[in-house]
Amino acid sequence: MIFIIKVNNRELEWYEGMTIEDIFKIKNYTWTKIIVKVNKQVIDEENYKITIVNDGDDVQMLHLLAGG
Amino acid sequence: MKYLAKDQSKCIQCGQCEEVCSTTYFKTKDKFKSCIQINEVESKPEINVCSQCGECIDICPVQAITRDKLGVVRINKKICVGCLMCVGFCPEVAMRQHDEYLEPFKCIACGLCAKSCPQKAISVEVYQEALAEN
Amino acid sequence: MDINKLKEGRKLLKEFKYDLGSIEKGYTNRTLYVNISENKIESKEVTPLMKEKFIGGKGFGLYTLWHGTTPSTKWNDPENEIVISGGPVCGITQYPGAGKSLVCSISPMTDIPIDSNVGGYFGPYLKFSGWDALEVQGKAENDIVVFIDGDNGVVRIEEAPLEAVDSHVIAEQLTEMYAENEADKRNISVISAGTAAEHSRMGLLNFSFYDVRRKVQRFKQAGRGGIGTVFRDKKIKAIIIKFSNVKGDLNNAVDKAIINKAGLKLHKEMHYLDDKQNRMRQVGTAYSQEIMSAYDLLPVMNFQYGGHEDVKKISPDVFKNNYLTQGMADGCWYGCSMACAKTADGFELLTGPYKGQKVTVDGAEYETLAGCGSNCGIFDPRAILEINFYCDTYGIDTISYGTSMAFVMECYERKIINKEFTGGLELKFGNFEDSIEVLHQMSRGEGFGLILGQGVHRMKKIFAEKCGADPDFLFDIGMEQKGLEYSEYVSKESLAQQGGFGLTNKGPQHDEAWIIFMDMVNNQIPTFEDKAEALYYFPMFRTWFGLYGLCKLPWNDVTPANNKFTSEPAKIPEHVQNYLDVVYGVTGKKLNTTEMVRESERVYNFQRIFNIRLGKGLRANDKIPYRSAGPVTKEEYEARQERFDGQLKEILNYDVEGKTTEEKMAVLRKHRESQYEKLIDAVYKRRGWNSNGVPTIERLKDLGMDLPELIEVVKDMQ
Repeated sequence: MIFIIKVNNRELEWYEGMTIEDIFKIKNYTWTKIIVKVNKQVIDEENYKITIVNDGDDVQMLHLLAGG
Repeated sequence: MKYLAKDQSKCIQCGQCEEVCSTTYFKTKDKFKSCIQINEVESKPEINVCSQCGECIDICPVQAITRDKLGVVRINKKICVGCLMCVGFCPEVAMRQHDEYLEPFKCIACGLCAKSCPQKAISVEVYQEALAEN
Repeated sequence: MDINKLKEGRKLLKEFKYDLGSIEKGYTNRTLYVNISENKIESKEVTPLMKEKFIGGKGFGLYTLWHGTTPSTKWNDPENEIVISGGPVCGITQYPGAGKSLVCSISPMTDIPIDSNVGGYFGPYLKFSGWDALEVQGKAENDIVVFIDGDNGVVRIEEAPLEAVDSHVIAEQLTEMYAENEADKRNISVISAGTAAEHSRMGLLNFSFYDVRRKVQRFKQAGRGGIGTVFRDKKIKAIIIKFSNVKGDLNNAVDKAIINKAGLKLHKEMHYLDDKQNRMRQVGTAYSQEIMSAYDLLPVMNFQYGGHEDVKKISPDVFKNNYLTQGMADGCWYGCSMACAKTADGFELLTGPYKGQKVTVDGAEYETLAGCGSNCGIFDPRAILEINFYCDTYGIDTISYGTSMAFVMECYERKIINKEFTGGLELKFGNFEDSIEVLHQMSRGEGFGLILGQGVHRMKKIFAEKCGADPDFLFDIGMEQKGLEYSEYVSKESLAQQGGFGLTNKGPQHDEAWIIFMDMVNNQIPTFEDKAEALYYFPMFRTWFGLYGLCKLPWNDVTPANNKFTSEPAKIPEHVQNYLDVVYGVTGKKLNTTEMVRESERVYNFQRIFNIRLGKGLRANDKIPYRSAGPVTKEEYEARQERFDGQLKEILNYDVEGKTTEEKMAVLRKHRESQYEKLIDAVYKRRGWNSNGVPTIERLKDLGMDLPELIEVVKDMQ
C-alpha cells in the first residue's frame, strides 16, 4: 500500500519518518525564500530537520516570487 | 585609536552622560539627541555608544565617514546625503539619527561625558595601534 | 584625452536660462521641453490632471509622448520623443531604490511605446535641477549634446563633433569636462548610447553614476526597446546634468519622520537578513542563476531547455570569488542598501577596439548572464563579462542581444542559415569568439551584425525570404512578441507566466509579472480566475513603482522575518505598507492598497490604448511563440519526456503507449494553445477589456479615465 501526503496540493509518496528536510531534497527545492506550512502551521527553518510529517498531511512550501 | 570605554556594571543609569552629550552638541537636554545612550536590558544597565569600529566607513556611498588621525570615526556633514544606511548597518546600533536633523551623528570620544560620570563607568581610552588596524 | 580640444569643437546652438524654482511635496510642477530640430527650449506646466491621473515617471512619460506624437508617428520621425521622468518619490535618499527614471519613446523594435526603467543619478538630479520630466523632440543636423546645469539654471544645446560615442569613453570625457575637480564628479550624470545603437534597433541608454571609490563613471541601463537607437537617430551623443549639494530633504517632503522610519527599517532588514536570503549585497541579481537552472527555468540554447549542468561554471560564487569587488557601496542611487550594482574591476578585454584595456564592467546581472550566457550556450564567466562590457559601451540591450543571438545560433545549428550567410562566422551555441565578432560588427555597422541588430522579429522575415526557411517554424522558435525579445525565463511549465510575458503592454518583459513560482511550483493559482487575478494584481502593482520613481527590487528581494506569518506572503504586505507610508511622507497623499492599484490601472489602460492608437494592442498582438509555451521540437520533448508524457496521461487522459513523439507533441500543443486562449479570455475580463483586448468605456469611466482622447480611440471597437 502506498501512503500519500500533499505538497503544494500535489501528491507525494510518503514514508515513515519523513521530515521537511527530506521533502526539500526529494523536490530539489533550492530557492532562498521558501515558507513551509504543515497543515497551515508555519514551520521555522531550524526545525526542518526534526519536523516529521505524517501520512495525509498537507504541506505547503511556498516559494516567494522575485525578479526585477 | 581613541574610543569611549565602558564598564556597564558600574552604571547607575543616572543619565548624566546623555545630558552632557546632548547639551554639548545640540544645546538641549534630550536623550534621543545624545550620542551615548543608557538603556536597560534584562533589568541591567546597557551603555550604548560607538566603539569606533569603522564598519560605517565602507557603508557610506559618498565617503562622508572617515577615521581621523586619532582613530576616531567622524562624519563630514557637508558631504553627507542623509541616506541613513550607516544607522541601519551599525553593528553596535550606536549610529544615531533624529528626525529633526538631516545627518546622522555619533560619539567622537570627546570624553565630556566621562568627566561627568559620577561612577567612572565610562572613560576615554586608546587602543594599541596594531589592534586598531584590525 | 584633451578636454580643451573637445571644447574647441563645440558650437553653441541654443542657451536657455531658467529660474531654479522649488520642489513641493516631490513635484517641481513643470517639465523641460527641448526641441533639437528647431533648437527651442521651454518650460511646460504640469497640470493637476497629470498629477492626479498620471502621477509621474512612466505616467508622465506616456502622457507627454501621446500628446507629442500622432497615430502615424514612426520611431525615426522627428516628432518621436524621448521622455525621461522620475516621479514624486524619486530622489529621496532614505528609502532604498528611490532613484529610478522611466524613459518612454516609440520603439524601433515594436513601433509602439516602450517604457524602460533605469537607475543612476540622472532622474534625481533632473528633479533637483527643477524639472519633473525632460521631453526631447526633433532631430539634430549634426551630433549634439544637451547640458542641463541644475546649479545655475542653464540649458544648452551644443554641437559636439569630437566627443566619442561609446559610453565608457564619452561618459569619462564629459565628466572630466563638466566637473571642477574630483569631488565634483559625483555631481555629474551622463546619458549616452554607443556606436552599435547607430546600426541596430536594440540600442539602449546608459545612465551614469559616479563611483567615488573606484573613481569611475558607472552605468545603469534603460535597456529595453531600442531607445538608444532613437537617441542616436536624433544625433544626440549625450545628455549631461550637473547638480551639486544633494541633501536628504530636497523633495520638501510632508513628513520626513515617516520616511526615515520606513527607510531605517529596510536598512536593518538588509543588514541582518540579506546574507541569509538573496545575497544581493554580495552578488547582485546573479544570485538566482543556479537556482533557476535547478527549477528548469533558466533559458538554455534559445529557450529549448531550462537548465544545464555547466551552469555551475557561471554560478554567483564564481563571479564573487574571481571577478566582483566586495564591500563597496554599490547602490545606483544614494540610500540603496540593497546595493545590487556589482562590478568586475580591472577587467582586461581580449577582443575588439578596446582590446588590452582594463575596464570596469557593470554586471553581470541575471538577465545578461542568462541571455548572453546559458541561452547562447556560453558558460564561461570571462566571456560573458566581455560581452556584457561591449553591449554596454556600444549601447546594446543585453536581453535583446542575447535572445537574438540565441535564435541565430539555433538557426545556424539547424542549418537554416549557413556560414556563407553569416560572412564566415560559425555561430554555433557556445562560440564566444565568433559571436562577439557579430557585436563588433554591430558597432562598425557591417556584415552579419547589421542583420542581428534588427532583432528576432525582423530576422524571422529575413531568414524566410533569403534563406528559404519555414516561416511557421521560425515563428515557433523566435522568442519575440510585439517585436521585443523575451527576457530570460522559461515559461513553458507556467501558463500564468506565459500570460505574464504575452499579456504585457510593451512586449515580453518580466517587469510586469513574475509569477512562475506561484503558479508552477506553489500551485497557488490553479484556476483561470486565479491566474487572471494574479495577472491583474501583479502587473498593476508593479507598474506603480514606475509612476513614483521607485525600484521594485527592495520590495521583494529581501523580506521581513515575520513575512511568513502574514495572510498573503507573496505580496509582502509590510513592504507594501512601507511604500504607502513613503508616498504619504513625500506627497501627503493617503493611499490604500486598492487606490494604489487603481493609480497604476489608469496608466496601464492608457498605455494599452496608446498601443491601439498605433495599430496594435489587440488580441492578435498578444499571440505568443510556441517555444514560450511548450516543446517545439522533438529534442525538447524527448529531453523532458517523462514530464510531458505524464501530463498527457493525467490532464488529457491520453494514452501515450505506442505513440510517436510527433503525435504526442501535436496533442500537447493543441492543449496548451487552447489553455492560453482561455487564459486570455479570463485576463481580459478581469482587466475590464473586451474579448479583442480593448478596454471597455465602462471600465474607463469607473477608473476616471474616460478622457476624450482615449474614448476617441476605443469607441468604435467596443
